[in-house]
Order: sequence, then structure tokens, then C-alpha cells
Amino acid sequence: METTVVGKGLPKFDAYTKAKGNIAYADDFSLPGMLYAKVLRSKYPAAKIISINTARAELLPGVHTVMTSKDVPHNNLRAKFGQSTDIGPNFEGLYRVLAEEKVRFLGEAIALVAADSEKIAEEALTLIDVIYEQLPGVFDPIEALKPDAYLVGDNDTNLVSQFKIRQGDVATAFESADVIVENTYRVPFKDHAFLEPEAGVAWVDENGIITIRVCTQVIEHFRTVAEVLGIPHNHVRVIGTWVGGGFGGKEDISVESFLALLAWKTKQPVKLTYTREESFLAHSKRHPFVMKYKTGATKDGMLVALEAELIADAGAYTYLSPWVLLYATVNAAGPYNIPHVKVDTVAVLTNNPFSSAYRGFGAVQPNFAYESQMDELARILDLDPLTIRLKNCLRQGDTLTTGADFGGSVAVQEVAEKAWQALGPKRADPGKHIKLGRGLAVGMMSYGRLTFLHDTSRSYIKLELDGSVLMRSGIPDLGAGQAQALVQIAAEELGVPLEKIKIFTSDTSLTPLAGTSTATRQLYMSGNATLKAAREVKERLIDKASVMLNADKTDLKFVNEKILRISEPDKYLALSAVIGQCSTDGDELYSEAQFNAPFTEVPVSDVITGQTFADFTFGAYAVEVAVDEETGAVNVERAVTCYDVGKAINPLNVEGQLEGGGVDSIGYALTENFEVEQGYLKSHSLAEYLLPTALDVPDIETILVESGAGIGPYGAKGIGEPACNAMAPAIINAIRDAVGVRITSLPATSEKVLFAMLSQN
Amino acid sequence: MKTNTKILTSEFEYLECPTLAEALNCLSKYNGKAKILAGGTDLLIKMKSGLLQCQYLIFVKKIEALNYLISDKKTLRIGPMINLRSIEKNEQVKAYYSALFEAVRSMAATSVKNMATIGGNLCNGSPAADTAPPLLVYGATLKLSSMRGDRIVPVEEFFLGPSQTVLESDELLTEICLPDLGDQVGSSFLKLGRVSADIAKINVAVCLNRNGKTVGNCRIAFGSVAPTPIRIPEAEEILKGQEMSDELIVKAAKAAAGLIKPITDKRSTNSYRQQVSKVILEEGIRSAWQRAGGEL
Repeated sequence: METTVVGKGLPKFDAYTKAKGNIAYADDFSLPGMLYAKVLRSKYPAAKIISINTARAELLPGVHTVMTSKDVPHNNLRAKFGQSTDIGPNFEGLYRVLAEEKVRFLGEAIALVAADSEKIAEEALTLIDVIYEQLPGVFDPIEALKPDAYLVGDNDTNLVSQFKIRQGDVATAFESADVIVENTYRVPFKDHAFLEPEAGVAWVDENGIITIRVCTQVIEHFRTVAEVLGIPHNHVRVIGTWVGGGFGGKEDISVESFLALLAWKTKQPVKLTYTREESFLAHSKRHPFVMKYKTGATKDGMLVALEAELIADAGAYTYLSPWVLLYATVNAAGPYNIPHVKVDTVAVLTNNPFSSAYRGFGAVQPNFAYESQMDELARILDLDPLTIRLKNCLRQGDTLTTGADFGGSVAVQEVAEKAWQALGPKRADPGKHIKLGRGLAVGMMSYGRLTFLHDTSRSYIKLELDGSVLMRSGIPDLGAGQAQALVQIAAEELGVPLEKIKIFTSDTSLTPLAGTSTATRQLYMSGNATLKAAREVKERLIDKASVMLNADKTDLKFVNEKILRISEPDKYLALSAVIGQCSTDGDELYSEAQFNAPFTEVPVSDVITGQTFADFTFGAYAVEVAVDEETGAVNVERAVTCYDVGKAINPLNVEGQLEGGGVDSIGYALTENFEVEQGYLKSHSLAEYLLPTALDVPDIETILVESGAGIGPYGAKGIGEPACNAMAPAIINAIRDAVGVRITSLPATSEKVLFAMLSQN
Repeated sequence: MKTNTKILTSEFEYLECPTLAEALNCLSKYNGKAKILAGGTDLLIKMKSGLLQCQYLIFVKKIEALNYLISDKKTLRIGPMINLRSIEKNEQVKAYYSALFEAVRSMAATSVKNMATIGGNLCNGSPAADTAPPLLVYGATLKLSSMRGDRIVPVEEFFLGPSQTVLESDELLTEICLPDLGDQVGSSFLKLGRVSADIAKINVAVCLNRNGKTVGNCRIAFGSVAPTPIRIPEAEEILKGQEMSDELIVKAAKAAAGLIKPITDKRSTNSYRQQVSKVILEEGIRSAWQRAGGEL
């Protein structure tokens, strides 16, 4: 299909405003008479709360209120993650607003203060007397699974959830394998480290509605906030701001309940902004996994069996662990055809920071493991990295390990070939102790939510009398161009220039709910809803124009704010003239359309079968690294990525997503280590938790494959999260190529690489 | 664990001193109760984390008389209030004081370097201070001033331990002086960090003079391997007066690695530091030798 706006690499409409610093982010907003909130957090990872005495804090001049769990009307709820479907207790966990009886992790919120200034609020925290009795806690998920383990929560087990994949008979298959590779892989916690820490302002409006202006990926948390307070859902309004990065870290509730409670109690506006260090303590992390992999192949390189055992550290509360684990389970075998597969996964509570959503959502961890396995197999069998992948990769018509069919396009071969070949001929090592190496990895990940969540999205479009367009969507824009994509779709369909379209986003009371900006679902879901709304309006315009132009409906086209006859392009009407006629005739040109994802039933068994996701995105990374043999330092010299994105609605933005996912994964592979020792953070600021800087990152070359076979608008697939796959294992495989050592735990710090080399010699 | 609250919770009086006389007067008057604020890139973080309190904060960065970099043919005098970025951009430093240039180039992001001063980097007393090893190998001296008068202290004697220096509570660092380095001189600075622009896991500076094929004067200093930045005289002695060769470099570097006793901390491990100390020293010596016009 020929397009004029969709498919163009256009700057996001918010880009200049952001560059000039004119966006009012969550913290850049104040109201008269506003109070400042602070949160008292647990000093211990595991302790019984004997008593909390807030009397001294309450007496401090300037303090308006101090709240603890006993002041929260409904302190314990079943966590909803923006979904409106009832999915049962297996996929939901406890959402506790403030700690009661015992604390489960360092930094768990215990009390809230609202005061005239941040300084007074900070001082008040020091005047709250909490008497703890320290408890032993458990900090290793394997220990936590033992029968006599310390119990993190209130249940009689630390097990959060477990899943299985059973395909064929692995035991017999391994007997027939010529080569078997067995390794245990470990990945650490990872922090989202978004530029903008959690922040918000809440107030009670003139109608008694609790209004929360906050940076979040999920404005639908308004319902949970209402339930915390025990008030009707329509008495809480969440206004989502432009978000300075989410990456899954703003998917769970952050400041919303705290702000609502304080505003509701004091009847004054309240602001709460986390410092970076508090943000590290307060929000989720990417799940650490221990992954035992056993992969068997014939001597000509055909995979015969894969057995994987994955243990995820869920941390102190359940949050999204069951979902993340299900993603890990379904993705555990990777985009390969393997006749016999056995996967067992568990997620376990510990007294570590809680784990939840992180861009890649359980697909990224096994990707590191299975792509390391493929690389080792290739080395043993003396195959190059591309050949072994092409021999085994999924192709059109193949099925997933759950037995589900892949719809759309399965372009593993194409993306692997293109990325690998783009590296070109090998270069000589630049210096005697600098060794170059190359690595390849492919990856897969779904886009759109788990199909049993019965996902839906809505979008609103209205044509004004002058031909300008107004859009409304609940979509939270995280900086990834979510809003821009919707505008480009409307512009494409209606033949209206981008600058004549204004979109209003992210307000639970005023914009149609578009669902969460998570799960790489917004372009797919809200893009489709927008397309549907635009086409409904368009149809009505065509009806009217065909009468006005005396033309056949199929002979009409929308171009440059005109509706013209394809057969006689000089016969046309201004769009505004048609709108005006519709209005005169009583036909208001607006539409609110809903898009429903395909849905399935909630799994009832641990053994996962059939469809759990609507579609997948496949991609590859090929990298060249330079390893310093004397210091163990690894530098990524080149990185090429190739993804089948279906259709790039905005190629510039897609490249940005791919580069961002790549940089994030360079950190995962080499520098970012969120160290936790016995529940205590060793990396509590950005001085200890090291993100790659601009100087540590190469230019990332992006190659877009557009199969047109996605289930998003115009055949688009989702790219946000899948972009985090493949880079980390490609780097680790390249290190193996350069200096012969296999790093099985991330990150591959200079220390780790150097001592691996020394112990090998 | 201390959290940076971004709030200066403790009460203090802020005193802005535009002249040296006023600053010294204030330091004398509030002896022991005051802290000196220059660029603030270390001090304010400590204050916001509650690690450091004071009754008086004396702001000295606006003292123009302490913001200079003067090089005649032989010596270099640096006003301690000059920011790191200005040192990095100085052509004289770039051309003749390679170790110092490489040190400031490796430090922090540009925005931080526009704030941070060389005086602050030294007086903060960090064992990892990147400007310390270059000044140690240049044999720099520091002028410490107070109402009681001035005294000159070699950089070598300045550091006492982490966050500890010989600076008395009424004293202010007022000048850094680099002596005549002699002819045929070359210097270098190397550092390993976790990412670019990081605090050093380990750093090293070398300065040497060349007499034909032999090493003349020579100084070697490491940071982040001991409670203070330190010189390694034993390794210097191995080089001095000897004909330069790869074997000699390896011998000196190996000796140095055997002498340092680094610790394990959040940035690296003792064994890694020990292991790479000889690697970066070897490279440091090579590079200084080549800059002195030597061949290898």
C-alpha cells in the first residue's frame, strides 16, 4: 500500500519542545498551598515491625500529617496491572501500600509525611520511631525454595509460580545427540535508570475528585488508587505527564497511592518526587535468573533437544513475576526448531528488591542463555555462527514449543544474514594485546499483551470545522514516540498535514482509555484503534463527498486537505467544505473506536500449551568487540542490528528504539551490575551503578526489514521491547571469539574477563 | 548507607568571600567550624548525604586572584580555583604537561569539569583523585595560606589518608607550583575506569627525563591503590640511570606491582588492581619515554 506520511522518518512533534526544555514533566508542576511529601523506608531487608511512633514527627512545626498502614483504608489489595479482565490469583499478587507487621525488603515504604517543605518533611522522617526486630530473611531463590526456608510473605511457601513446556521426549533425544553443551548462566538485577525519577502532584479538585498528575506507564492504576481509599473509581483521576523514560520501571504503582492518601487526608495539594537513590530503592528491577541449559545437536549441526531450568528471583513481592516468568518460559527455546524440548521455570520470593517489568520482560534473560549455547555448539561443531542458526531457525509455518502457530512473518533467517553480512570482511587486530572478535545472536519476543488478558484499546478522532483534527487517547507517551505514531496514522488516513493535528493524551477522566504503555502494545493496539477511528470518519466523509462531487465512492482520494476524484484530479473539494456540509446536515465528524486483540483463555495448567501471544518480532545483532588481553577491558567497536518491524510507521523512531535497546543491552552485557548483598544494595546511586556513557557506545547501524506481515496498523510489528534482545549475547559471543573465554554471568566486567583469561592459560 | 536527599538538611551560615584576605579572615575566625566550598562537586554531595556538617560554609571560588594558570618558560603556577575544564583547554598544559592534561581529560563530564576546581580535587583528599598522581610526578609544591602566614608543602607530604590532608582548619590552598622539569622530559597518565569519565579503579602517572638512551630523573605515582596517592620510589630507582629497554620497563612495572597493596572496594578488586597496575605502568613508562624523544 502506498503511503505518504506513514513510513516517513519525521521528527516527533514533541521533540523541539523537549529539546528546548519546555515540557512540564511531573516534577515541573506546582500548585498554590502545595505540601511536600517524603516516604520513610525500611532500614532492614527482613524485620518485624514492633511499633511505629509518629508522635514526635507530628509535633514538628510545618508537618501536616504522618500516615502509616493503619491510616490506609485498604492497605492490602490484589494487584491489577491495568488489566480489566479477571485473571485469577495465579497471575496476580499482593499490592501492599505501606508495610505492616513485617518488612520484606530494604526500602519498603513504612510511613508518609506531608509538610510545608521538603526539608521539614525530611526532618520529620528522622522523628518517626520505628522499633524493628530483625529477621533472618532469605536472599537466594534456590535457598528460598528449600522446605525449611525463611518465609518472605504470609503464605506457607516462597514459590510464586511455576511453568513447564513439554514437547517430545528429551531423555531419549539426548541419547541420539552427537554433541551436548551444558552450562549454567546467571544474570543480575538491572535498574531501569530512567532519566526522570518517579514524581507527581495530587490534589482534591472542586468536585472532590482526587486528581493525580504523575509520570506513569499505566494511568489505569486510578482504579487501584480508588480501591486503596475505598472510594468510587470515578472519584480518582490520573493525568499522565510526558514521561522521561519508563522501560517497565513505571509500570507498577509508584507515588500515586501515597499522593492520593496525603491529598485526601490534608485536603491540600501534595508533591512527591523521588531522589535517584530513593528511586533505586523504591521501584522494581529486572529479574535475576539462574538458567541451566542443556542443548543437544547432531554432528551436522541440527538441534535435537533442549532442556532448560530457569529460576527467577522475584524479590520481596509478587508484582509481575508470574507474567515475566511465563514470557521466559515461552521464549526459553528461542526462535529455533527443536523437536524435543523440556522447560521448567520457577519464580521465588526473597528479601531482595522486588522484581517486575523491565523492557524485554522475561524474554531477554533466556535469550542470553540460548544464544550462548548456540555459539558453543557452533564452536564444537566447527560451524560459523550464521550457519548453525540458519540450519535450525524457525521459518514460516513452524510452530512454537507450546504448539502455537506463528502468524505473520518469521524472518529469523533474513535478519541473521543481513546483520552478520553487514559486518563485512574481518580486520586485523589493531595492537598486539588488543584482540578483535565477532559475535552474532538472534532473538524473539512477542508484542502485545498475553492473549488471555483480553486486551483492548480506544482512540478518538474529531474533525473540526476548519479542517483541523483533534485526537484523544489515554496513551502514556514514555518518550518513545507513542503519541507521534497515532498522529502519523491519522494524518495518513485523512490527508491532513501533521501540524494540523493535535492530540490530547493520558487523562483517565477525559481521554478514552488506551491501556498501558507496556508490553510493546501501544502501536499495535492504539495504532489499530486510531486507524479504525480514522477510517470510520473517512467513510462518512466519502459518503458526503461522493454526493457533492457526484462521484463513485471508490473514485475518491484524500490528499493535502482535499478530497479529489482519482479519475479527474482537478475535480476536488476542500476537506473543510465537506466537513462543513456534514455539520450543516447534522453529522458531527468524530469517532471513538475500540480495537480488541485476539484472546484466549487463562491457562489452567502449569504446562503451557497453545497460544499465549498474538505475534512475535524477530531480530538479530552482529557485533565486533575489541578485548584488551592485559586489562580485560571490552569495547564494542561495531554493532549492526537487523529487525523485521513489519512496517516502520516512523523509521527514524524505529531506529531510535533499536539503538536505545542496543545501548541498554551494552550496559547489561558489560557494566550494569545492581549488586545486592544479603538484601542490602551495594549499588545505590549512579556513581556505583554504571551506565554506558556516550563514549562507551559505538554507532549502531540499523537495518530495517519490512515484511508488512505484522498485526499492527499497516502490517507493523512492535519493536520497543524486542529491541533489547540479541545485543548482550552477541557481545558475549564476540568476547569468546576474541579471546576464547565463555562468560556465563553478566555483566562481563574487565575483572571477570581478565581472570577468565588468566585461569584459562 | 547514606542517601543523597538532594537537600542540605543541616543549618549553616553561608559566607561568600570575594578576596583572599576575607577568606583567610573567615577561616581564622570560624576555625574548625567552617568548610571551604569551591566547585562543590564533592562537598555538596557529602553534605546532601549527611556525611558532612558544618556551621559555616566559606565560598572561595569567586576569588579571582586564585583563578589563574601562568606558565613561564620553566615553571607552571596554577591558581587552585581554576576549573578542570580550563586546565584541559590550556595549550601550555596540553603541550608540555601531558600527564596533567590526560588526567583532567579523563575526569567526569564536561558540565562537572566546568564546576570542579583542581584545588578541590586535591583538598578533597580522595585516594583516587586524578590530578594527584601527575602533580606527584612533577614534584609539585602547594602553598597553604592562613592568617598565620604561608607555608610550602610538597604534594608528596600533603595527603594523609582518605579525606585527610595536612591542611589545617584555618588554611587555604592558594597555589600549586610545578618546578622546572628539565630538558628532554616526557610524562603520561593512564587510568582504568568502569565506563568513560568514571572515578579511577586505578590510575598512574609517570614523568621522566631522557639522557640519550638512558633514563635520567624519573617519578612514578599511583592512585587508588593505597589510602593516599603514592609514589613508588623502588620502581623509579630501577629505571634511573639505566639504558631504556622493554626488559627494563617490565622489570620496573613488575616491581611496582609487587609493592602496592590495593584493597577491594565497590569499583574493583585488589587482585585486579594488582594485576593491571603493571600493565598500565608499562604503558605509562613507554609513552613518557617516547614523549621525551626516546625510542623503543
